[in-house]
Amino acid sequence: MAAATEELQFLGSIPGPEGAGEVDGAVAEEGRPRGGDNEEILRFMDSVDGYLLLMDSLSSALRQGWLDLASARHSMGPSRVSSTLFDHKEQSAATKLQVVDRDGLKPSEPKPHFALSKWSLQEECHSTYDVSERAFTEPKMRHRGSVTTPENGNYESANTTASSTGADASNHVQRARSKALSVFGGLVSPKLRTAQLSFETALDLIVELANSRSNMLASFSQLKE
Amino acid sequence: MAGRANIPTNSSALIAIIADEDTVTGFLLAGVGNVDLRKKTNYLIVDNKTTVKQIEDAFKEFTTREDIAIVLISQYVANMIRFLVDGYNKPVPAILEIPSKDHPYDPAHDSVLSRVKYLFSAESVASDRR
Repeated sequence: MAAATEELQFLGSIPGPEGAGEVDGAVAEEGRPRGGDNEEILRFMDSVDGYLLLMDSLSSALRQGWLDLASARHSMGPSRVSSTLFDHKEQSAATKLQVVDRDGLKPSEPKPHFALSKWSLQEECHSTYDVSERAFTEPKMRHRGSVTTPENGNYESANTTASSTGADASNHVQRARSKALSVFGGLVSPKLRTAQLSFETALDLIVELANSRSNMLASFSQLKE
Repeated sequence: MAGRANIPTNSSALIAIIADEDTVTGFLLAGVGNVDLRKKTNYLIVDNKTTVKQIEDAFKEFTTREDIAIVLISQYVANMIRFLVDGYNKPVPAILEIPSKDHPYDPAHDSVLSRVKYLFSAESVASDRR
């Protein structure tokens, strides 16, 4: 409700019923379908509303992160949680983005779509997922003297592979998180770990915001015409 | 395909940050930090000693690098280089203005929202009717 009010205040006055009727009349006179314009306007308003709601959620996530960081600095000492500890040796980011170029409403208007790849997990998942997928697609071999049926045997091995894939991914993420925390020393405050999780949540919201921005600008350029 | 923005499709890209120390520290904890062979980072920590020129140079560098897809900039820092931020209109990298500890987010100053809100201003409706 507050976000909706904020949005209306931000956008300023919207034409009243008489104004809307006149605008609609002008659109109909130009020969453009009324329904299409209204649909586009609704889509645009939805994207602006979504953008503001996401920004609100981002503010909350960041506030929690800053608070946890301040608590960690208080317990560990200011010299142990400081930008002077950042390593300037060559290192690759563990969390990256995948950018997919989707055509906007016109081929000359690209509409990029962003996806987050946290802790290089997508690359790890792809390499282990192939193993589990292969288990389902391999021809089922008959095992003589085996108690279990071939299908059940294969299914169990695929299940074990899938569960070990999940465990591997989880271990990988934990190792990656610990490596990021190790910049601040071997033993870190639990608050630093919760700050890390808060900022990871903020990253998810940021990617959603980027996609929402992309949709908003695409709708806007459509409306401008 | 003339005039099409150069967007690297399905490739890995970085998130750049221009913000205060705590915000940059937090995002580095989340694994976003990158340092290349030439010791160039994908972040700039803004404090009271950082000049406007340094912020401008960092913004120009991050928006021209092909390996960066999103640039996060604290809104109070964006206000220092507002003319540069408002003049930027490429789809990638996407510029996102974020709040900081001491400066909450203000939608009235957001460059993307400023660009679209004119659509609903009384002046634009009146000019369309003419």
